[in-house]
Amino acid sequence: MSKDIISSRKQEVPLQDDSSNVFLQVMVCIAVFLFGVTLAGTLSVNAMIKTWNDSILGALTVQIMPVVENNKEAMTAEVLRQQSKAVEFLNEWPGVEKATPLSDKQLNRLLQPWLGDGVDVSDLPAPRLIDVKVKKGMHINFSKLAESLVKEIPLASVDDHKIWLDKLIKFADSLRLLAMVVLILVVAVTSGAIFYCTQTSLGLHHHVIEILHLMGAKDTYVAQQYARKACFLGFMGGIYGLILVIPTIFVISGLASQIEGGIVSETTLSMMDWLIIFSLPLFSCFISMITAYYTVKHTLIKFM
Amino acid sequence: MLFKTEGERILIKSVSDMDMIIGMQNVGIRYGQGAEILSDINMALKRGSFHFLTGKSGAGKTSLLSMMYLSQKASRGIVKIFGRNVTYTDRDSLALLRRKIGVVFQDFRLLDHMSAFDNVALPLRVCGMDEREVRKRVTELLQWVELDKKIKEPASTLSGGEKQRVAIARAVINRPEILLADEPTGNVDSDIAYKLMKLFVELNKLGTTVVIATHSEKLITDFPFPRLHLQNRGLKIYRPIIEDNTVKGGIHE
Ligand SMILES: Nc1ncnc2c1ncn2[C@@H]1O[C@H](COP(=O)(O)OP(=O)(O)OP(=O)(O)O)[C@@H](O)[C@H]1O
Ligand SMILES: [Mg+2]
Repeated sequence: MSKDIISSRKQEVPLQDDSSNVFLQVMVCIAVFLFGVTLAGTLSVNAMIKTWNDSILGALTVQIMPVVENNKEAMTAEVLRQQSKAVEFLNEWPGVEKATPLSDKQLNRLLQPWLGDGVDVSDLPAPRLIDVKVKKGMHINFSKLAESLVKEIPLASVDDHKIWLDKLIKFADSLRLLAMVVLILVVAVTSGAIFYCTQTSLGLHHHVIEILHLMGAKDTYVAQQYARKACFLGFMGGIYGLILVIPTIFVISGLASQIEGGIVSETTLSMMDWLIIFSLPLFSCFISMITAYYTVKHTLIKFM
Repeated sequence: MLFKTEGERILIKSVSDMDMIIGMQNVGIRYGQGAEILSDINMALKRGSFHFLTGKSGAGKTSLLSMMYLSQKASRGIVKIFGRNVTYTDRDSLALLRRKIGVVFQDFRLLDHMSAFDNVALPLRVCGMDEREVRKRVTELLQWVELDKKIKEPASTLSGGEKQRVAIARAVINRPEILLADEPTGNVDSDIAYKLMKLFVELNKLGTTVVIATHSEKLITDFPFPRLHLQNRGLKIYRPIIEDNTVKGGIHE
């Protein structure tokens, strides 16, 4: 279809003199800039979430904290009782593949670098750990899990690092939604501007278009001329926008990496993401062309 | 009035539907909410016929022609071009009909920002003709109307007579089946006027149906063709009588 829209070369409608040309290019430039920055943000947040999901969130550790009490026997018994209760509880939680308590041997091995050989964990007030494997592709609401778990087993605690990440992911999700809304708005506003400029231009060149019609031109013939012009303006505006977007992305990610090494340094864009950003001028060119084409077709119906 | 309706009856009946290339039935036209400029127009022009269209200034010649070249719709009545009722013809089909109609507008309607060449090439390009063929045909025709020196000039810089010749070249470039010319010889000297009339006659011999609106009595007497005359918002047809090999105006049919 797009080939049909831009074929045939002669430009009889003098669109190159339209004063709206500069306005449209600036408009598209700003739109592409907003679009590009929002898109880059969304793409890097996506990448971040993916990394977290894959590496950090696949597993979870629950601790059963020992209560310091004079009766050591009773304390150990209570901790172990709560541990097995927690294991049971966790295994029933949707999305959990398997919860396994770490044995004394495993604990010993974990603690060995700090405590040296020959220390028995069961004698120490060290926390008991439960290793929880999350089912692949499942999202677990960690804060809710932690809340319910503590209600049942008062000595249990879920690693709060993970709860924090969980909240961050939720935030990122709503951010993504917001970005979608921004992207749609940007496209809608740009198309709207092209729609009105095209209509104004049709009125302005009414005389020329009437002559074309009288010579036997179909509406498509006029629409092609507008589509070709809009394609050019959309592309150029897109290029200018891109020229602004690229340094902005670098500045933002530069600032971001200064904040917090651990998490935000994941924000580098992949090759694919860059490809998408570099194709924005093609995208703006396409949107402009289609909008102009159908605006002309739609508007000329009112002419004889 | 009685006489007029009599004339119309003959006019309609004498042309069969097959032969009729332009037909009007009870056509009226008006602008906005004003009174009708033309009322109850009936006509049936035969394929391959040649008519002059006359009438005082403001009688409605341009208005009548504009219905024929599908620029205006009749306010009432039926207009048939190439046998098709234009009221029930969709936009793209109207465009295709217009390609078979060449028009010389009274005010030329050239694209001022484009060259003489591009103006004449327009009807060909609109049909998507190959650019080499366009070049060949347009150059040839511009030579014939003695404008080969002005081929690249923008239309806005041409003189009145030059514009008129460009307009005529544009009207005939696509070898139209119908040629409608509104005062086509008003701005040129009598030599060129004669040459252009010869062109129209030649085209007519090749089968083109021609209607020429004119004020020039000389043209009408020099070329013995029937005459559509607009008067009192109505249409009458006159046929020429030839006495001693000279045309003496025309009589009412
Ligand atoms: N677009 C228009 N809007 C309103 N009135 C119009 C319009 N065009 C023509 N008229 C009116 O219709 C009447 C007929 O006009 P038209 O141009 O058809 O006359 P004409 O016979 O071609 O005249 P001329 O010989 O001067 O060219 C005139 O009274 C004119 O004022
Ligand atoms: Mg006129």
